[in-house]
Amino acid sequence: MTRAESLAVVGDLRRARRKQRVAAIHWVDAMYQVYITGVVAVIALLTLSSLIGDEKVGAATVADLRDRGPAALGCLAAAAVFLGLRSGSRGGPLALERADVRHVLLSPVDRGVALRGPAYRQLRFLAFVAIAVGAGVGQLALRRLPGNAALWMVAGALYGLVLVGLHYGSALLASGLKAPRWLATLLGGVVLLWSVLDALRSIDALPASPATALGHLPLWPLGFEPAWLVGPVLAAGAVVAGLALVAGTSLEAAEHRTSLVGQLRFAVTLQDLRTVLVLRRQLAQERPRARPWVPALRRGRARFPVFQRGVRSVMRWPVGRVVRVVVLAAVAGFALRGVWQGTTPLLAVAGLLLWVAALDAAEPLGQEVDHPGRTDAFPIERGVLFLQHLPLVAVVSTITGLVAAGVAAAPFATPVPVGVAVVTGIAAGLLAGCGAVVSVIQGAPDAVDVMAISTPEIAGTRTVIRTAWPPALAVLGTLPILAGRAAELGAGDPPPVEAAGRVLGALLVVVVVFGGWVRFRDAVHEAMRQAVEGMSPSRAVERMAEERRAAEAREAEALAGSRRLAGLDGDEDGDGDDVGPPEPRRPKGAPRPTKAKPRPAEPRHGVQGGTSAKPIGRKRDQR
Amino acid sequence: MTAPAIEATGLTKAYDELVALKPLDLTVPAGQSLALIGHNGSGKSTFLRIVAGLLERTGGDLEVAGFDLTDVEARATTSYLPDDPVLYDDLSLREHCEYISRLHGGDGFDGYALDMCERLGLADRIDDLPARFSRGLRQKSAIVLALARPFSLLLVDEPFVGLDQPGKLVLLDLLDEVHRDGAATVVATHDPAYVDRVDRSIALRDGEVVFDGRASVDEVMALVGG
Repeated sequence: MTRAESLAVVGDLRRARRKQRVAAIHWVDAMYQVYITGVVAVIALLTLSSLIGDEKVGAATVADLRDRGPAALGCLAAAAVFLGLRSGSRGGPLALERADVRHVLLSPVDRGVALRGPAYRQLRFLAFVAIAVGAGVGQLALRRLPGNAALWMVAGALYGLVLVGLHYGSALLASGLKAPRWLATLLGGVVLLWSVLDALRSIDALPASPATALGHLPLWPLGFEPAWLVGPVLAAGAVVAGLALVAGTSLEAAEHRTSLVGQLRFAVTLQDLRTVLVLRRQLAQERPRARPWVPALRRGRARFPVFQRGVRSVMRWPVGRVVRVVVLAAVAGFALRGVWQGTTPLLAVAGLLLWVAALDAAEPLGQEVDHPGRTDAFPIERGVLFLQHLPLVAVVSTITGLVAAGVAAAPFATPVPVGVAVVTGIAAGLLAGCGAVVSVIQGAPDAVDVMAISTPEIAGTRTVIRTAWPPALAVLGTLPILAGRAAELGAGDPPPVEAAGRVLGALLVVVVVFGGWVRFRDAVHEAMRQAVEGMSPSRAVERMAEERRAAEAREAEALAGSRRLAGLDGDEDGDGDDVGPPEPRRPKGAPRPTKAKPRPAEPRHGVQGGTSAKPIGRKRDQR
Repeated sequence: MTAPAIEATGLTKAYDELVALKPLDLTVPAGQSLALIGHNGSGKSTFLRIVAGLLERTGGDLEVAGFDLTDVEARATTSYLPDDPVLYDDLSLREHCEYISRLHGGDGFDGYALDMCERLGLADRIDDLPARFSRGLRQKSAIVLALARPFSLLLVDEPFVGLDQPGKLVLLDLLDEVHRDGAATVVATHDPAYVDRVDRSIALRDGEVVFDGRASVDEVMALVGG
């Protein structure tokens, strides 16, 4: 089939399907979503603007930004390339329909034609988001930095486009060239590591990373050189080359990816973090090791089977997961160093990273939550079972926190004092573990939830709380470093370690309370459900009706008792019409009492001409 | 001389440490009907999916009708009927037939497709969306789609799963007709009765060929552990 024929056939299908999809869109819902997105974006931008403030930075800061900013911003470009290469080596960035893989890509049409359409659409959306976010960040930058206001927004938008182009283009290239995963990880990893080392300036002899050249672009308002336009040219080149090679995409990887991405998006819309995690692992083909790191743990009878089950799970962590957790912990450690040096908002970054790392520690618990039928079959309560999983989560997440502490206290530049770092690492690890456990246990919102059908304000607030409190717990765990820093600045009374230790003590109480929440969560939820049902207006009406019926029944019984005592009970005249107290009036809405079915008459003795209740013979013979 | 429908030389497939297909040398002449039998996990579906182009081979060479698997001609030649029907949710059965026929250079929904729909009991459902179909009806739809296009090699994976008895009989007839029309058929099945209808049977065990020839039902039962 020629390219033109392929275009015609595939184009016809796309048009027909688009027509059906457009017909199925609920426009009011769609407009409401746009409205909500716009409102949230404006609120976020205003909040961030107020946090950043309007005070212009000094000349020294601007000089520092000119000096170190490009390398730091270049890390973003390197990360975009790294993630793109990784995604492409796993069949990304396209997420096709499975039917498209089976019917279109297996047919003799030009695969480039079939794949470029979805690629253009995806790229268009990403470019739009990148421009919006980039311009938004530029708007934040212009509040405190000198330079043309419009130029900051243009530079931000342009850099957003460059990042998307680099990410998407490198993903398409890796996919089209069928780059093996190890090669993609190696190439991207080298670029990223180079950029990070460049930004940290930890090795004097290291030449500047190529990504640093791209990092000049967003700082354009502080000064411009035409060479900085290499970024947009490189990104555009990557996209064009990727689109040219897209026909080489592996069908095996595409088909593997296609169903998972759909489920992943659905899980994200449900805020079901656990499902997102599991699907992401499948997408990354991250499977547990066939052989545990320590084989001896495979045998033996344990006193604590739940804990041992968890240890076995951790011992099967693949290399990729171990590396990810260590990297997350290391970056959290750098964030803690930043906090110690005075950048308090980095506290949130450290907490969030440790929380993400702790989600892996909660995997054995997640396996139990994923299979409620199996846990219900165990002869112990779910709360007790979940509680027995917590020690392992605590151990693993505390070790992760200590890795972060090690990086924070590493003796270069301005380290965090060892004591404060260790105390913060323990607290941050533990609380991050608690946050991860909450994320795993609470799962997706219930399909039928009394609160969810309440007013949007209540449901929305509840959704925000559900989403925010697990990472908030993790951020809470990093507070000891703030106490330590305050003590350090306050001339050492109490000493920083002691100040941090006091906060740790308070946080340990939170951990104990959290254990109680895990143990009694089911019971508390059941009690809350009953309470909410009790508050329901329709339920209240039903309850009142039931109480009224019960009162009337009691009254009738009392009246019958009085009649019996007065000797008025029974049929005095024997005519059968005096049969006790009158039947209470049926309240409106109450169920109609069922009448007793008439019983068949007792058979009389003697010959009756057969046992059949039906007349013998045909009807016409009986006339 | 007509090129073989399938010519595999040293074909292998491995998933990390798991070897699904050990080096496999296999030639399926054009027009031959072949049954692929074996235990669960023996490599039948893997082989079919590699030949269909859905799986990447780890090693070896593979040609379909004399073309390399990456060639468009190989795709034009091969029709694959999977064990899990994959259909668009927003296209009716008629629209599916029309679209797939056009993708293969046909004119759209033709009399042959209509005839197959009637034989498989789908005539009343042609304009319905397959999303509302039962498993069996979806399987029948997939059969129609696999056959309503030109091909010279038909790959079928566990075709009888989910089919009722009349549907199964119709499918057996259709496979015979396809074979009579000159197409090669490779059917992976656990149904021992099917081997009586084919020219050749190949049994796989743990990714290796353990039998190649004409097999009796008893031999098949022994091979698949029935």
